[in-house]
Amino acid sequence: MRAPVSKTTPQRPAMQEPDGFDKLYRDHVDLIYRYAHRLCGETESAKDLVQETFLNAYQGLKDFRGEARVSTWLYTIASRACIRMRRKRKGQPEHELSIEEFVPTSEGEFRLQIPMDGLSPEEALQNKELRQALDQAIEKLPKKYRMALVLRDMEGLSAKEVGTIMGLNERAVKSRLHRARLFVRRELSARGITHHEDQNSGGLRS
Amino acid sequence: MTKKKPSAPKKRTNPSSPRHTHGQGHCLDLLRQLSAYIDDELPSDICGEIRQHLGACPNCEVFIASLRHTVTLCRHRPVPQLTSVDRMNMRRTILDAAHAR
Repeated sequence: MRAPVSKTTPQRPAMQEPDGFDKLYRDHVDLIYRYAHRLCGETESAKDLVQETFLNAYQGLKDFRGEARVSTWLYTIASRACIRMRRKRKGQPEHELSIEEFVPTSEGEFRLQIPMDGLSPEEALQNKELRQALDQAIEKLPKKYRMALVLRDMEGLSAKEVGTIMGLNERAVKSRLHRARLFVRRELSARGITHHEDQNSGGLRS
Repeated sequence: MTKKKPSAPKKRTNPSSPRHTHGQGHCLDLLRQLSAYIDDELPSDICGEIRQHLGACPNCEVFIASLRHTVTLCRHRPVPQLTSVDRMNMRRTILDAAHAR
């Protein structure tokens, strides 16, 4: 995809950076890249989002008063930039997830399981098929649900912090998170990944 | 609000109990509260009710186990790291764009 900021500008004029920008970038670029990669699911889009985020932060740094933690401020900028970038790229309307669609209609659907018995999460994720299924399930989530899942379950933020970043109250965050988890569970279960035969090759019995 | 850490669901102790039908009543209520339950956000009396239901309903027990696994997998999903060259190149691109505006 096209980069959000020009990579062709030959020389930048010798200007002073806003106070603290280099430290801000150095201290938080890995955090924001991790978040961006989890949201976008692939490297180039994640880099675009990181650049857009820090460009906006550069321009807003002089107005940042420290009411929120720096990381919360950057997560907020990145989240808004992600929504803008996706809107430009796809223009697809978001669809809502309702709890009712996750109600199993047969005992078999209740019983579908994800193969983790006796394995640590790291060992389970050695299973290539499971890892790909997880990535695809998260990628399929409508973005407002994906954002809640990524911020809460992957970045480890509190529901209150996620609410600050997404502009929601805690109840709405928890509602979105719950639907996102149910969605991912259903996607993983529907893949019928049931048994590890060879974790490294992803050779599984379905 | 008193909170209590949810313990592992009890194993079904009476396999000959009447067959449980799903999709109604307690199972639907449980479905709505599962994330709050596994995040330890429910009051202890509700947690107790849920544990009691799980002890009697193996399908819900399996369902909640798979939801816990889903959350665990999300928490441990690996993500690639930036290289130092990536960091340097992106910084240059950001500053070039900022100064061009």
